[in-house]
Amino acid sequence: MIAKKVLLVGNFGVGKTSLIRRFVLNEFSEEYISTIGVRVSSKIIQIENQEIKLLIWDVAGTSDDEKVPKAYFLGSSAAMYVFDLSREETYKNINAKVDIVKELSGLKNITIIGNKKDLVSSKEIEAIKKLIPFSIDLITSAKENENVEDAFKELAKQTLN
Amino acid sequence: MEKTTVDNKDNRFELLKELLLADDRKDFNVLKEEVLEREKFKVKVTPVLDERIEDLKVNFSDHFGKNITEAIKIQIRESQDEVVEALYPILGKLVKKFIIAEITKLTESINQTINDKFSISQIIKRLFKGKRTDADDVLQEVFEPIIEEIFVINKDSGLLAGNYSRGNIADKDMVSGMLTAIKSFAKDSFSKDGQDIEDIKFENFQLSIQNFKTIYIATATSGVINPDFEEELLEDINNLAEIILRDRSYLIDEEKLNTIIKNIFIKKE
Repeated sequence: MIAKKVLLVGNFGVGKTSLIRRFVLNEFSEEYISTIGVRVSSKIIQIENQEIKLLIWDVAGTSDDEKVPKAYFLGSSAAMYVFDLSREETYKNINAKVDIVKELSGLKNITIIGNKKDLVSSKEIEAIKKLIPFSIDLITSAKENENVEDAFKELAKQTLN
Repeated sequence: MEKTTVDNKDNRFELLKELLLADDRKDFNVLKEEVLEREKFKVKVTPVLDERIEDLKVNFSDHFGKNITEAIKIQIRESQDEVVEALYPILGKLVKKFIIAEITKLTESINQTINDKFSISQIIKRLFKGKRTDADDVLQEVFEPIIEEIFVINKDSGLLAGNYSRGNIADKDMVSGMLTAIKSFAKDSFSKDGQDIEDIKFENFQLSIQNFKTIYIATATSGVINPDFEEELLEDINNLAEIILRDRSYLIDEEKLNTIIKNIFIKKE
């Protein structure tokens, strides 16, 4: 079985931890996120007849001002950028933030996830899609367990590219 | 005539009895009434009392449990010193018993080691041993250093390349990831001029980290680590790193790497 490091990034409170909680079985205490700015969880996933162990690094922040060690981004095979559909400030500068993640991790593509679908209407989602300069890969709801598994499958697929 | 006299005498005697015992008879009657009254009362009350007693036997805790608990709580709160004084001899005895048992074990172990140390063969060996003291030798044998875990980890990704584990570790990949994260955090926060974290101590465990170009090797040991053990361990780590860095195929073949780790380090146990 291959093990792959994947990143989960996005502003505070966008629901990264809730997505992980829906998806993984093994996880360290959440306290790590507030103390060292990251927590590693693991999940085995089957993609294209291949078992992959995803080591998910839940990183608390994306840019220099958030004091996250750059080393957290190194050696990752894929990354997921999560924003909160109900809070504009989490996708306002998404372009710049995704660029920072790309630069730090050396990854060309990043999976974009809009979370908290349960808090917005489909009309509002359409408006957000028009605002964001690139396409959203998946709209999820950690609360209602909607598209969570698919989001991580998408991430796992990326690790094979 | 005579009979008449006797009759008169009898009557007088009866009369005298009446006169003398009148008060006593009154008292007797009162007492008799009381006793009879009590008997009647007993007959009436006993079944009720029996019923009540039975109810108390069964439901005592329901009726008085709360009150008693509260009363005990108050009593304990107000007499903490007395409670401590009362419990002290019992707890003291238990603690003393435990300490004696542990010291006995330690003494037996030390005695065994000393006996071994003073055998002819050991005395000859000691003539050539160098600067180490007998205390070092005794401590080392009592608290023998043990390699608990060895992790070979990719430096950037934190992905585990191979490992040896004495016990059962829950998710070694996750542990490697977190260890790498902690290492990166410490380096980013505290280090100057490329310094890196080297040791983490936790109770009787010591985690030592040796950094190489693309990997780092983390070893977790327990027991008393003496300089000889440390030196040998470091030498083995360097040997392992050299083997891996000369042949990078070890980094993509976990089984192969695990075998070489075991071959190098297992002799220490």
